Parts: sequence; C-alpha cells; structure tokens
Amino acid sequence: MRIKVDNLSFGYDYRTVLKNISFTLESGEFLVLVGNNGSGKSTLVKCLLGINRVPSNRIYIDDIDIHQYRQWINIGYVPQKFDDFNYEFPITVNEILTVSRLSKIDEEARLSLLDKIGILELQNENINSLSGGQLQRVFIARALMNNPKLLILDEPTVGVDSDSISEFYRLINNLNAEGVSIILITHDVKASKANFTKKLRMENGRLTETLDNEVTS
Amino acid sequence: MMIEDVFEPLFLSMGFIRAVLERTFMQRALMTGVLIGFLAPLIGSFVVIKRLSMIADTLSHFTLAGLSIGLFFINILALPIGDPLYIGMIFAVTGALLIEALRNYYQNYKEISMPIVISLGTALSALFISLSGGFTSTVYNYLFGSILTVSQQFIYIITATTIIVIVLIAVFYKKIVIVSFDESYARLLGINVNVFQFFTTIILGLVIALAIETVGVLLVSSLMIIPVAAAMKVGRSFKNTLLIAILFSEASVLLGLWLSYVVGIPSGATIVLFNISILLLVVIIKKLFSIQQTLKKDSSENEKTKPI
Repeated sequence: MRIKVDNLSFGYDYRTVLKNISFTLESGEFLVLVGNNGSGKSTLVKCLLGINRVPSNRIYIDDIDIHQYRQWINIGYVPQKFDDFNYEFPITVNEILTVSRLSKIDEEARLSLLDKIGILELQNENINSLSGGQLQRVFIARALMNNPKLLILDEPTVGVDSDSISEFYRLINNLNAEGVSIILITHDVKASKANFTKKLRMENGRLTETLDNEVTS
Repeated sequence: MMIEDVFEPLFLSMGFIRAVLERTFMQRALMTGVLIGFLAPLIGSFVVIKRLSMIADTLSHFTLAGLSIGLFFINILALPIGDPLYIGMIFAVTGALLIEALRNYYQNYKEISMPIVISLGTALSALFISLSGGFTSTVYNYLFGSILTVSQQFIYIITATTIIVIVLIAVFYKKIVIVSFDESYARLLGINVNVFQFFTTIILGLVIALAIETVGVLLVSSLMIIPVAAAMKVGRSFKNTLLIAILFSEASVLLGLWLSYVVGIPSGATIVLFNISILLLVVIIKKLFSIQQTLKKDSSENEKTKPI
C-alpha cells in the first residue's frame, strides 16, 4: 500500500497542529514516526485514517485521494489507548475477533493468526482478565483480522512490560517481512527494536528529520 | 397447623396455573411478560455496553408525555386516536432521536442530553395529566404497569416487534456488537455509525414504549438494566452474558407474575423486586466466592512458605 502526503496542514478550531507535512510511504515499507507528546503524531494518524477531515489533494492512498478512498478494510489500526473499547463488559477474545471481520471468516486463517500473535491459548478468555501486554496483542490481532496491507500502530508499547515489548517488536518485524506496510508512532525510537526503513521526526507539527533505509538491530 | 395451611402455597400455585390455562387475560399477561422479559435485557445489554443506562429512564419519562397527550386528545378533545400507546410510541422514538441530536450537539458533555429530555418529558406529562382530568387509574397504570389488562392488539404489536428485533440482531449482529463496544473502530471498518445509531435508537424507543405496559414508566429501566447488571458479573462471554440476562429476566417475570397473582400485589413492582433480588443474590454469591478463593490462595501460599 502506498501513502502520499502532500503539503498537509491541519488544525483544530484556530490552532494549527500540522504544518506543511509531506512524505511518502511505499508498499512494504516500515515507517517510524517519532516526536514528543503534542508534536502532532496522533493528529497525523487521524488524518491518515480519515477520522480528521483534511482538504482534497493532500493525502493519497494507493494514488486515490483520501476523500474518494473506500477500501478502509485494507488499513489495520491499533490505537494508543484502548479507552474507546468497553472492556468491562464480558466478551471473549474470540468474540471480539469474530465481529471485527465483517466478511466470512476462514477458521484455519483465524487460528493461524491467533497462533502467530501468540494468543491462541487466550481465545476463550474474557478480555477483562487480560494483562496490558495480552490486551495489546488482541488489538493487533483485531487489526489483522481483515488482512490489511497497512498496519498503523499508535504508541503501542505504552504501559506494556519489557518482555512483552520485545515480543511485540519481533511480531511487527515479522509482519513487515511478510509484506505488510507499517506505520509505527512512538515517542522513543531508541527503545524500539523496529527494523524500520524510514524514520520521520515531528516537532511542533513539522517534519524536522527524515531518514531513509536505516535499519537498527 | 392444618394440612391446608401447609399446602396453601401449592393450592394457590395450582390456582395460578389454572388461571393461566383458563383465563385469556392471564394468557395475554404471561405472553407479554415473556416477550418483554426477552426483549428488555436483550436491548438493555447494548444500552449498558454503550454506558447509556440512563437512556431507558429518560425515554420512559418522555413516553409518558406522549401517553398523557394521548389521554388529553381522547378525554378532552374527544379525538378518535385509538390507544394512547401509539402516541407514546411516537414520543419514545422522538425522545430517542432528541437524545441523539443533543449528544451530537454537546460532544464533550453527552450525558447532559438525559436531564434535558427527562425534564421536558416530565413537565409535559405533569401538564397534560392535569389537563386531561388528573391522576386517574389509567395514569396509575402508566406509572406502574398494567400487564393484566393488555389487549389482543398489544400482543400482536409486541410479537411483531420481537420478531423484527430478533431478525435485525441476527442480520446485523457483528455490526451491532462493534458499534456498541468500539464506535471508533466501527467507523474504521466503514460502518456508517450515525445511520446505525439512528435505527438502533428507534428500536430502543419502541421497546421502551412497549415495556411500559408491563412494569410502567417508573420501573421500565429496571427491566432493561438490572438483569444485565447481574449477568455481567457471572457471564463468561458476550453471548453467555446475554443468555444469562434473558434467563434472569424471564425468571423474574414468571416469579413476579405468579407471586402477584397468589398474594394479590402489583405485578410490575413484584417483577422488578425479583430482578433486584436476583442481582443481590448474584453479588452476595460472587463476594462469598471471591473471599473463599482468596482464603484458598492465602493458605496455599502459607503452605509453600512454611519452614521445614
């Protein structure tokens, strides 16, 4: 999946949050977006997801203007916090995943996804009994239920223990190796073990640094 | 103690069963109770998930305004509008849409919509109840329910509503669950959440208007929320929780109808009190169970750390 952002500025009310942002993400790339809190990273993600309405001809997904883009199913999203999800009401991991794919579910594919994410043994667990790390994996699995071509992860390691973080990066790197484009938003790229291909730094709503083809161990 | 005293409850229960078998009004009451006992917690579950428990109370008060205006039309203006229930249903749906509109208007203070609509409903009710002849037995029935006096026509309406709700939930199950649990994610999947919300709100309004016939305006929310509140504490999965909520609700309806017939007390209140009793029982058993678990855990840990 190819993403092109062309001179995007965006704001809430009278406050400009994003200023003249331009970058491209080619198919299969792993983009890391770093920056301090409030630098505009999450706002940019919301623009890419169509949650924030941007002007025409500013964001293209697979060369289609975002206003005309309809194949949202191709983009998987793991939010920064799971606050939007009501995880106090009983619902099992399996039930969440089943409803997250509107089209028919291939049972074999579902089981292999659960296995790959490492939550096969949790499938019948109630999500209110899961730890932060386990919950995060469930939400990654949810984002992957529709076989997305692009996975966007917003600060996925906040509040997750260090073992789970290592496990998480192993998983994300593998997914990227399988051809899924990744956009990872984090405030600390040094702590990450992401095999990224492109790094963007944001400061006060501007892109201040762009590094291509850098691979860390 | 005479042998009749010992078996009195049994005789009375037999009387209840005979009444159900022989009397049309009891059959209608039972049918209404069973259908509402099924519908209310089913719809109520989605209301609870969306943290909108107050909506049932708000809409029932707004429906009362419709019922009161209906009474005013019939009693004072002598308009041939049939059953005031129809105006009640229109008000339930209007109230539901009004809440949605206000929730969209006050994005950061969504809950403010409830007191606004509840106040309007209560004020209109007070006004039109007074204009249409004051506090009559009809108004009393609206407030506390009148399951024993439901008409055959009402049975048709509620049966049709139940079938429609079951079909809609079966067809749109995945979408309903996603929108209820995570609205943002539903939008990402391309679900038109606003259109969806519009239709679910209309159904919610209709079910509330119909449930008023069973337990009345003041108790209708308890029928939707309390069985779900109890089931949430023991459910092992989403579907399991829905099923338990419906079972708790049906048990309350049947026990409530039976006891109200046997002792001669209001059925709506009895049904709700059974609902509350089940909730209390669940909370107490759950508490005892967790205390027992903690004690077991402590003793096994002590066992491990015991010096050799």
